[in-house]
Amino acid sequence: MDFKDYYAALGVSESASPEDIKKAYRKLARKYHPDVSKEENASDKFKEVGEAYEVLKDPEKRAEYDQLRKYGARADGSFQPPPGWQSSSGFGGGGYTEADARQFSDFFEEIFGGGRAGGFSGGPRGAGFRQSRSMRGEDVHARLALFLEEAFHGCEKQVSFTVHEPDDHGRIIARRKTLNVKIPAGMREGQHIRLKGQGAPGMGGGESGDLFIEVELAPHPHFAVEGPDVLVAVPVAPWEAALGATITVPTIGGKVNVKVPKGSTSGRKLRLKGKGFPGKHPGDQLVVLQVAMPEQHTAEAEALYEKLAELEKNFNPRSKLHV
Amino acid sequence: MTSKDQIVTVELTDAGSTFTLREVCERGDCHAEFVIKLVSYGIIAPVDEVPEARQWQFDVEALARLQKAMRLQRDLKLNLPGLAVSLDLLDEVQDMRREIARLNQQLRQLMDE
Repeated sequence: MDFKDYYAALGVSESASPEDIKKAYRKLARKYHPDVSKEENASDKFKEVGEAYEVLKDPEKRAEYDQLRKYGARADGSFQPPPGWQSSSGFGGGGYTEADARQFSDFFEEIFGGGRAGGFSGGPRGAGFRQSRSMRGEDVHARLALFLEEAFHGCEKQVSFTVHEPDDHGRIIARRKTLNVKIPAGMREGQHIRLKGQGAPGMGGGESGDLFIEVELAPHPHFAVEGPDVLVAVPVAPWEAALGATITVPTIGGKVNVKVPKGSTSGRKLRLKGKGFPGKHPGDQLVVLQVAMPEQHTAEAEALYEKLAELEKNFNPRSKLHV
Repeated sequence: MTSKDQIVTVELTDAGSTFTLREVCERGDCHAEFVIKLVSYGIIAPVDEVPEARQWQFDVEALARLQKAMRLQRDLKLNLPGLAVSLDLLDEVQDMRREIARLNQQLRQLMDE
């Protein structure tokens, strides 16, 4: 077991005042809150900071921790509590705590967890566990990142999540659960699906909670999504834009032929009805034309351009810049 | 039991289902008064805003938002006006992040031309 440096977690010194500790915790809790932060490992950091604060805010726990810190930590960072160690500020025995004890590390459990073998006392649901009435299991919320093609066509994905459930001794333990989930076609960013009864198990005959999955779409190299609509930038040759042409355009569902109107300009949008995301109200695909130039021209083509320059000499592409 | 044994295939049951105020309270593990306050602050909204709270129905997005609001309130000790502002700003940040990702992608396409 690794030793946890709670002072380092909060970025404070050993001699920090309770006020400094509270201040550091509040700042880091805001920074790493999983609902606020997009940083990688924000959730782990948030738990680490919460655990550190749970110990350092309590003078009794802090004193015990300081003592252990002095004698228990080994040079290689590993840790073993002294033989016969028993916390006097035991987590479960000491009374109510609003912190979610299920999130704390093995290190914390080893030091302060001794008092809660009889049952879980933290968290808003704690009080109900010892009662005989039935209780519905917790819902679990998970996120699932999908490639655009997967969301468009529907797919089968493996989803792993953690449920908290009581073991044989009534202690709440975290269990990793994995399901194969059939994702229906046409799921969009931010949409939820519900898997009934796949959350945490109920107690005393109560029904299981549900699993809710929120869909996230991974960025695609060509397609962008706006609500139900799909956007794609499609290059066209200058003559295709000028004269009009039938071109092949990619959609997520496959290739389609599109008529480019005569006299099109760069940035012109063509709407392909019903070629966006499927669903009750299917979206459209918007094709944004981009006039592309060949990198090299033959002498013959250059001569034609010169002729074109002469014919179109009144055209000023920079008129909007007043030059 | 190996981890492989725990894998089961499940079907989507109901994507468009709604929840009553009672169900939302049960699932969110909170009091009806709290949900009513969240609605009055515009933090979450029932599908149809009828005056009688007992007739309210909430969609899954509202349920997820309620739980997010509860986590923020519990962890950061926010009051209701603070919660409303935070959630609005977080929504805005998320929309902007998506917009930036989309614009970056378009920019990359343009640069490739």
